[in-house]
Amino acid sequence: MRTRALPAAAFAAACLAAATAAAAGGTVRVQLNADIRSTTPGTNRDFNTDAVVMHVVEGLVAYREDGSVGPLLAETVALSEDGTTYMFKLRDGVSFHNGAPLTAKEVVWSLNRYLDPATEWRCRSDFDGSNGTKIEAIEAPDDATVMIRINQPSALFLGSLARIDCGMTGILHPDSVKADGTWDKPIGTGPFTFEGRTPGQSVTLKAFPTYAALPGERDGYTGNKTPLVDTVEFLVVPDDSAAKAALLAGNVDVLPDISNAAQKELSGNGALQVLTSPTMGTNVLLFQTTDPLLGNVKLRQAIAAALDIPQIVAAVTDGNAAANNSLVPSASPYYGDVEKQGFAYDPVKAKALLAEAGYNGEEIVLITNQRYTSSYDTAVFAQAMLQAAGINARLEVLEWGTQLDAYTAGKYQMMAFPYSARLDPALSFDAVMGDKAKQPRKAWDNPAAQKLLDEAKRVSDPARRQKIFDELHRMAIAEVPLIMLYNGTEVAAVAKAVEGYKPWPASMPRLFGVAVAD
Amino acid sequence: MLRFVLVRIASALPTLFLVSVTVFVLIRLMPGDPALIMLGDLADDRSLADLRAAMGLDEPLPAQFLIWLGNVAEGDFGRSISTNEPVFGLILARFAVSATIVLAAVALAAVVAVPAGMLAAWRQDGALDFAVVGGATLLLSVPSFWLGLLMLLLFGLKLGWLPVIGYVSPGQELERGLLYLVMPVATLVLTEVGVIARMARASTLEVLRLDYITHARAKGLSEGAVLWRHAFRNAFAPTWTLIGVILGNLLGGIAVVETVFTIPGLGRLLVDAIYARDYPVIQGCLLFIAALYVVINLVVDLCYPLFDPTVAA
Repeated sequence: MRTRALPAAAFAAACLAAATAAAAGGTVRVQLNADIRSTTPGTNRDFNTDAVVMHVVEGLVAYREDGSVGPLLAETVALSEDGTTYMFKLRDGVSFHNGAPLTAKEVVWSLNRYLDPATEWRCRSDFDGSNGTKIEAIEAPDDATVMIRINQPSALFLGSLARIDCGMTGILHPDSVKADGTWDKPIGTGPFTFEGRTPGQSVTLKAFPTYAALPGERDGYTGNKTPLVDTVEFLVVPDDSAAKAALLAGNVDVLPDISNAAQKELSGNGALQVLTSPTMGTNVLLFQTTDPLLGNVKLRQAIAAALDIPQIVAAVTDGNAAANNSLVPSASPYYGDVEKQGFAYDPVKAKALLAEAGYNGEEIVLITNQRYTSSYDTAVFAQAMLQAAGINARLEVLEWGTQLDAYTAGKYQMMAFPYSARLDPALSFDAVMGDKAKQPRKAWDNPAAQKLLDEAKRVSDPARRQKIFDELHRMAIAEVPLIMLYNGTEVAAVAKAVEGYKPWPASMPRLFGVAVAD
Repeated sequence: MLRFVLVRIASALPTLFLVSVTVFVLIRLMPGDPALIMLGDLADDRSLADLRAAMGLDEPLPAQFLIWLGNVAEGDFGRSISTNEPVFGLILARFAVSATIVLAAVALAAVVAVPAGMLAAWRQDGALDFAVVGGATLLLSVPSFWLGLLMLLLFGLKLGWLPVIGYVSPGQELERGLLYLVMPVATLVLTEVGVIARMARASTLEVLRLDYITHARAKGLSEGAVLWRHAFRNAFAPTWTLIGVILGNLLGGIAVVETVFTIPGLGRLLVDAIYARDYPVIQGCLLFIAALYVVINLVVDLCYPLFDPTVAA
């Protein structure tokens, strides 16, 4: 990857040039493994939809490369003493794709639209009080300032606004919606404009010639996002082998996520670049602690001791990832010495624990699926190791929708499950913690731990949060409600002519700051 | 003949109704629903409930079915849960793509396989017969996706003659469109030619044993006349039925070929819809495919008198 470090004056000139001149040129073609669902941010979405839409819209705040939240459309964000009022001062000189300037009016309109139940915003329940935080007021004291007041202090408020599956709460121009209220197309402030799509085949974006880039370097979804190509074409290629063949034949330039097998094969190829990054997705083995058999903590500890997790992870990821027994992702700033402690492979101890647990060879069913190779491979290895330790584990391979159903209802004994990236550790814990009576899908039901987690969601002080995450981690290792195995790695294969492409922990392809050499 | 056609279509309606009910019930018996799959592991109870309500999944089942059926009677197949596009238009567009490939492939396969099978039967146990049967068996045993991928690697990657991904409709740009069709059509031709050849051979063998063939030869007719004028017309009927079955099969689902060659066809639409539990699309596709079978069988039956005069028109 080429980074450009420029001295200040030359830099300012470059910024101006980038803002006023057309992009350097060319087309970059990127693979999508399935068609997008829509072009509306944060509503009818999936991973591929987000990947495309995040090039077109921008929010007040966005995720940086390390998972922390930084300002994007906001110049500064000020929080009141009592932690309930956020003042967003908007950046100067930002315009929408239709030429209109960004003002507080459009921000307020966008935010109100997201909160309107008719919009079906996926993250509404995180802001309407259903999950604790409630936006009580949105006001524009002046053209360049937006005030949002919430009901109680929350460490996750800005992070929730920045969440990719929330569409980054992207600020849209009202012309994105037709006069009759139906969606037209996204008119945002992002480095690319939405040009068009052929359903089932492709989506085309064009560089926004007057994009107002932040100074400095690209940093996650914030920082300098200057578009360096004229056109981005997302091509729908569902089959991995066809995608690989297309890359080698020069029909496509970027494969954002290739399998381990493909990585081995393409690494030696001089006409390609193979780039990797750790991600914050987690791969776990869930236990159902209300199961008569697995409710016994000694049995769960025995299972943990019977698994050689570093070996499983090395095999499943071809050495790309390292074992991590903590729900705090290894790429997170909160990952410290405490989080590095975990389970130890100890077959002797496993046998002793099995005896203590009174285990009599009863069958334990381990559910997995073939949609996510990480889950499937992990389950296959785990089952073999458990059998070797005298634990009668049987694999049950379900279709993904069926497994999701079982997961949501809590109807399983053990399950290999992949969680999408959550860029704040509190959200990683939150994904698995809760009251099983109300939310059967939650694996870890522990009121004392829940109290700690609630505090981590409220308190913004990093030192305090670190202490809480440390304590939660210790409790999770002792109680073993699940076994966390590893965070994923994103491996991208890119044509040699493409410069500046870099995978990052949020696993999203980024085509700003990317150029195609002639 | 018009009466015959109308009676056939009318008698197909109960079948289509049964298909609709069965599909409706079966797909809703599947675990997982579209809202859950859309939200995945990021689902929380509130968002899930909201989304299910927005999708109309919280209505009682009989009500959902009757609403859908009523709309279908008016030609409205509803909208896709995943993309909100009107289902009928979506199906027609995707079908046009699949149909182009399937019709071209089956026609080519028949043109090659039927004469090959007949000649093999005519020269039974000879070198030609051995070659045809051997070749047909080989092609029958090869999975279509493997064949497709091999072609992709050879013609797309190694030789660079044909595009590896994408699709351009021949309706829009004839020359470029044809290039994109070559490999998927070739793959299908190779997988179907074996079946058709073997059926043509078997039915020709049956016919060549019969007395009237011996009689024709005794009369002094040339072998060519015997084969074409007498054997073909009777031998072709079972093969024609088979072609109808093959067409029905393929028009409904060449999902594998479509996936490998990134063709936006009906098969892939249906498979993707099943994984996403996109009920309106699944129901619409399966009803459409069932209706296709009815139409194809009707056309097959109507064509019999063309080559077999003993079948009443």
